[in-house]
Amino acid sequence: MGTREDEYDYLFKVVLIGDSGVGKSNLLSRFTRNEFNLESKSTIGVEFATRSIQVDQKTIKAQIWDTAGQERYRAITSAYYRGAVGALLVYDIAKHLTYENVERWLRELRDHADQNIVIMLVGNKSDLRHLRAVPADEAKTFAERNNLSFIETSALDSTNVETAFQNILTEIYRIVSMKQVPESPDYEGDVRPIRVEPTTSTSSFPSETAHDNLANVKKLCCNS
Amino acid sequence: MNDQSMVVNDNKGFWKKNSHNVPGRPSPKKSVFSSSSQSNANSSFQAYQASISDAWVIDDDEFCSPNVNISKKVAQSAALNVINNHKTKQFETSSSSRNSKVNESESSKIAKFNALLNLNLLNLEELRSLAWSGIPNQVRPDAWRLLAGYLPTSSERRQQVLERKRTEYWVFVKQYYDTDRDETYQDIYRQIHIDIPRMSPLMMLFQQKLVQEMFERILFIWAIRHPASGYVQGINDLVTPFFVVFLQEFLPVGTDLEQLDLSTLPKEQRDIIEADSFCCLSKFLDGIQDNYIFAQLGIQQKVNQLKDLIQRIDTNLHNHLLKHGVDYLQFSFRWMNNLLTREVPLRCSIRLWDTYLAESDDFAAFQLYVCAAFLLHWRQKLLRERDFQGLMLMLQNLPTSNWSDHDIGVLVAEAYRLKVAFADAPNHLSGSKTKR
Repeated sequence: MGTREDEYDYLFKVVLIGDSGVGKSNLLSRFTRNEFNLESKSTIGVEFATRSIQVDQKTIKAQIWDTAGQERYRAITSAYYRGAVGALLVYDIAKHLTYENVERWLRELRDHADQNIVIMLVGNKSDLRHLRAVPADEAKTFAERNNLSFIETSALDSTNVETAFQNILTEIYRIVSMKQVPESPDYEGDVRPIRVEPTTSTSSFPSETAHDNLANVKKLCCNS
Repeated sequence: MNDQSMVVNDNKGFWKKNSHNVPGRPSPKKSVFSSSSQSNANSSFQAYQASISDAWVIDDDEFCSPNVNISKKVAQSAALNVINNHKTKQFETSSSSRNSKVNESESSKIAKFNALLNLNLLNLEELRSLAWSGIPNQVRPDAWRLLAGYLPTSSERRQQVLERKRTEYWVFVKQYYDTDRDETYQDIYRQIHIDIPRMSPLMMLFQQKLVQEMFERILFIWAIRHPASGYVQGINDLVTPFFVVFLQEFLPVGTDLEQLDLSTLPKEQRDIIEADSFCCLSKFLDGIQDNYIFAQLGIQQKVNQLKDLIQRIDTNLHNHLLKHGVDYLQFSFRWMNNLLTREVPLRCSIRLWDTYLAESDDFAAFQLYVCAAFLLHWRQKLLRERDFQGLMLMLQNLPTSNWSDHDIGVLVAEAYRLKVAFADAPNHLSGSKTKR
């Protein structure tokens, strides 16, 4: 896979999902470029960004896919769940509906993502204290019940953004470094290495998702 | 390089086959049609009928005013046109002596447009071929209304159709927007309401409440009247060119949109801008509705076509993208969904719309070639990128901020060249498929 300018020990693909307007793109721009736009354009399809962090003296490169929140885009965006080892499921603490839809997003992940994907529930816009519609305790309980980690963030004032990404990447790293058997890429049984190949090596065209009826789409075997 | 040699190799066949066509002109089918109808114009009633057929089939008009005698009104308007033409010409040439050459061609273009637009019975084909390479600002609003099929070709009926359509729009608004909305409509409204404020966050004009409400109504009514697709994020960006062009119609030339307070415009004018934007958007989107239906099949299909096309045209670039794991869907989805509005500045989108509208029904197919030309435009830069990350970041944010009309002119001309070379002869380059 030849030339890579920046060296890294691990490459983790992470997706940002959740309803429209909850602040996914701003979480991403805050984390990768330390930028925030009060009115950033809606994401069309998917957008990509990347950043590397250090965990245990290892360089972990996060390849983050920001997805469009509108339902109509689901067929397109779900194709990007494949190969993702982490997901930030974002809702807006000031909009209860976006929290109610979390269950639907979990179902999406169950249907389209790797079953071992690490999911973090993220209540964004924590700066909007006076408008809070989702109690932190309630979301925390929900997260525990569903085996998700949980954090509240504010992309606007930067609260916990770094921590959120740091936590999920560390969690993924722990799982990978525990489970991975580096010398033998073949594995048996129910232990699946969660490490993804560098994305540069997989030429994947989304085909196995909701649109099998499409002509011209190359059938690729799923990555199991 | 690869693609050039291919085209050169095939030049003979290419020119023979499309002897009427020159790159930069509208689609071959149409030119063939118009040239044949020209040559037979005197002999064939069918050709004549075909050439004027759109005068009668426009929409749901029940009646057509008999248009036999030259009325006083027509004679008067023709005279006025001549005077106006002279006026604009004089104004253009006298106002700027520096770029007189540019302005001369610009003003002669305006004159050509005016002559066409003011004909009693407009020849739509002529308008298309004239508009394809760009429409001067002064005549753009009417040209767009005609190209979109919103205005009838018969000049006598235009005012009447305009008034009726505009009224119709406001009836829709009253019926759907100003009333209590049921739950499904509420979902649509919610999505639109989230998207409008963040549409063009850097332009003050689009932060004005009045403007945002206009967009909301346009999109909401459109979505309700097109239940198969409904509102899809990105369609909001497609309203903007129409809105700006119809807005500028009421502003003195050179008005800075950034400084404009829309509430200074009379309500009647704002209502016209809104209704016309809606009507033209509706006509415009008719040809690409499958882009926005469930699973966005139209776009998925076009993305696959783009992939096949690039593979044939530029194997090096295609393999380069493939080698680094870049999937066409990852970058070209937005190009297709938003018709490149997110990739080029607004002024360029407007210029691009000239060509899209001139392409008429074929514009869905043509857009594929525009995307191909757009991708190929950056091939050198892309080939220099050495990894997935570099490629993706570049493709998501191509440096077009200083693009002008000229760049769009080059882009669509190249798209046209590709279309002629590839769409009309799907197999003649099949040899290039063999990978090296």
